[in-house]
Amino acid sequence: MKVEIPNYFLADLGPEAEFTESMITEACLALRRNRERYLAVRDTGAVIRILSQTAENWLEDDYPYRELALEKGPEETGFSRATLKAGLDHFFNQLTGENLEDLLLQELGHFKRMDSPASARYEGTAQRASATTGSDMLLHIAAGNIPLPAMMSIVLGLLTRSSQFVKCASGSSYLPRLFAHSLYETDSKIGACIELAEWKGGNEALEKVLFHYAESVTATGSDETLEAIEKRLPRGTRFVGHGHRVSFGYVTKEAMGGYRAKRMVRDAADDVVAWNQLGCLSPHVFYVEDDSRDFAYQFAEMLAGELAKREKEEPRGEVPQEVAEQIASRRSMYEVRAAHLPDATRHWYSEGSTAWSVIYETDTLFQLSCMHRFIYVKSTPNLEETLKGAETVRDNISTVGLGAGEDEKEEIVMHLARWGVSRVCALGQMQKPPLTWRHDGRPLLSDLVRWTDWEQ
Amino acid sequence: MIRGRKSILRCAGRLFGRKNAISAVAENQPTKNRMYDWHIFEDYRRKLLTIIREGMVFDFKEMALSIFRLQYEALPAYRRFCNKRRVYDSLGIWELIPPMPTTAFKELPLTALPEDIITTVFESSGTTGQKPSRHFHCEDSLTAYEASCLNWFQQHVLPPLDGHRYIILTPAAEDAPHSSLVHMFDTIERVVGAATSEFVGVAKDGGWHIDHDRVIDLLVDAARFDRTVTLLGTAFSFVHLLDECKKRDKTFQLAPGSRVMETGGYKGKSRTMPKDELHKAITETLGIQPQWIVCEYGMSELSSQAYDHVAGSEEYRVFRFPPWARTRVVSAETGNEVKLGETGLLQVFDLANVYSMMAVQTEDRVKRLEDGFELVGRVNGAEPRGCSLMPSDS
Repeated sequence: MKVEIPNYFLADLGPEAEFTESMITEACLALRRNRERYLAVRDTGAVIRILSQTAENWLEDDYPYRELALEKGPEETGFSRATLKAGLDHFFNQLTGENLEDLLLQELGHFKRMDSPASARYEGTAQRASATTGSDMLLHIAAGNIPLPAMMSIVLGLLTRSSQFVKCASGSSYLPRLFAHSLYETDSKIGACIELAEWKGGNEALEKVLFHYAESVTATGSDETLEAIEKRLPRGTRFVGHGHRVSFGYVTKEAMGGYRAKRMVRDAADDVVAWNQLGCLSPHVFYVEDDSRDFAYQFAEMLAGELAKREKEEPRGEVPQEVAEQIASRRSMYEVRAAHLPDATRHWYSEGSTAWSVIYETDTLFQLSCMHRFIYVKSTPNLEETLKGAETVRDNISTVGLGAGEDEKEEIVMHLARWGVSRVCALGQMQKPPLTWRHDGRPLLSDLVRWTDWEQ
Repeated sequence: MIRGRKSILRCAGRLFGRKNAISAVAENQPTKNRMYDWHIFEDYRRKLLTIIREGMVFDFKEMALSIFRLQYEALPAYRRFCNKRRVYDSLGIWELIPPMPTTAFKELPLTALPEDIITTVFESSGTTGQKPSRHFHCEDSLTAYEASCLNWFQQHVLPPLDGHRYIILTPAAEDAPHSSLVHMFDTIERVVGAATSEFVGVAKDGGWHIDHDRVIDLLVDAARFDRTVTLLGTAFSFVHLLDECKKRDKTFQLAPGSRVMETGGYKGKSRTMPKDELHKAITETLGIQPQWIVCEYGMSELSSQAYDHVAGSEEYRVFRFPPWARTRVVSAETGNEVKLGETGLLQVFDLANVYSMMAVQTEDRVKRLEDGFELVGRVNGAEPRGCSLMPSDS
């Protein structure tokens, strides 16, 4: 079944569309009006049903928006069909009623708080109840690397019963747009409480209007972008900023022992392939514990083999010329190093394309990869040396994908936690956080709501 | 030419003496018991000089393969680089000679010259904080360099002319011993320039600025006596000069036949100006018509340069190297040569690069044209660095 995407949202008008301040003003006023009429009056159960129903639809093979995402998505987003499928399936599999209830419980302490004053067990005895209220209008400013953060923002916004304006970075609105349309299809009144538009960041006139109407603003982007946004917000507007983060994997000797190595490498390849390594949760480097230097080298070699295999099943897809140039240039630099110091640097490259690259180095200094399946494997004597090597990005680390023996995991996790890591997961799961994942170690919903305590 | 040889030698010694992580200078250089190589190098160089100076007919393929084999033999790092790409000295197709990336000039001392005969080290003028490329020269290699640049310069910018004055917007060679551009200007000034030619750059803190008072005096003088001049300099020097003229409210109508050779990017040294705009401003301020403005493309890693047209001619602009340097434009994605009209990365095969790397992979994005190339841009963020490489938002 083929569908034409109707023109519900500003983003439907295409990338050439030019918006005026009055168009944005009108959109904001409509959002606030619709929220008052349609969203504020719904209860949490209804919102969860709409979300989980939409997610179930997305998991059906013949769901038109899914078909569109997989058919036109590669052209619109640059991700291959297989990459999109894996990423979207993970997201929508997570979006179940149960998980959403858990999320509310985790964030607000009680599932019903958005509907009426409610007491968690510890509050009931003190005769105290609390209710939470969302914003009239929530503004999301989404960076464009991968689509999921923008989609997750919409979910969170709906849970707080806020109307939402999603400002996507140029060229990145396609999947969030399909998601918004799918919500509109499930419940048009809820869909009417969402607006989506796309323009290149820094259009001060349009953004000024948004900042005026938004009660809360969330943004993802570089630290400079976030700082610039925060400065322009009117006093009293709540702001939640998520700066760019980087992630790495850590594999211990024990994990590499015996027959487990193969599995580790497959999982590591999953992390590199997911969203072509473009997310904040994607690894730039895998550190592999190594006394004799052999484990790390083997890991790199096997990872190269695995990435070559994945390229056949789940190709990376085309990249813009500038990206190919960056990869080509970086590759040639490592070719030179490897020619000069073959013990300290090795490389494995896809032939005739830039589809994947593995660089092995004995130097533990953290290196930012140029992404798009360009991965470093670095040998390291232990966790301490690894963290010294990653010191330069200490304040920007999000996730560590861990491959370790059962007995050593807890100690490693605490070590990482104290050092500043906000998420540790198994290798292979780096780009698959659960719905309840605390983004950058911060609460998901409590920053977006206003609390009212009632002391009975 | 043995200008300041002692100090340069000391400097080269310091460079080599520095113990950095990558220090295989000795390994990379021919030793006395490999003088055999040296004689073949010498034969090659003599032949090259005949080609350049006397226009001898030559087979590019044969020359390219013979210098490739010599460099393959003399530079172990290059040999390993080739072997990793499964290219050996038995190669028979010059187009398949692996070009050394310019970044390698930053990391390795890519030279076949024994340490004790090195007189000069050209360094790239990268942006602050970057390691510069280093290109090592001895007196013999400089003769090849000088022969190559003189020949092509004279064919494009200016044949030797009596009474013509050069105003060179850089310091003199002794004040900028590591600049290949300054060395080229110095050669031009020495060989074809009149006694009245002048360097008007003042070296300072590793860079240079222009002595504006002096250059304006020279321009006033030239305009008054209707004397033809040629201004040579980098694009950013011209921007500074034009800004200064504007500040002082000066415009000139230089004598017909006066010309400009501008080269190079901006590297953060002045505001950047699109080429057309810069040329328009030169015409407005100095009275030199656009067809008399010649652009040069060169880099410290090479010994030959490309020019975009012959001064005064109305032909369209396209960068061309001399016959002893050929280019290929390859796709970053596949490494294969792109079709005519498409853009890719520029490779230069410069036969005049005798003792370093004949084949060089640049980081310049160019459009491949039938008889040359057009500069489009530069690869960004190629070098791995710290957190500043974070993806930016759009």
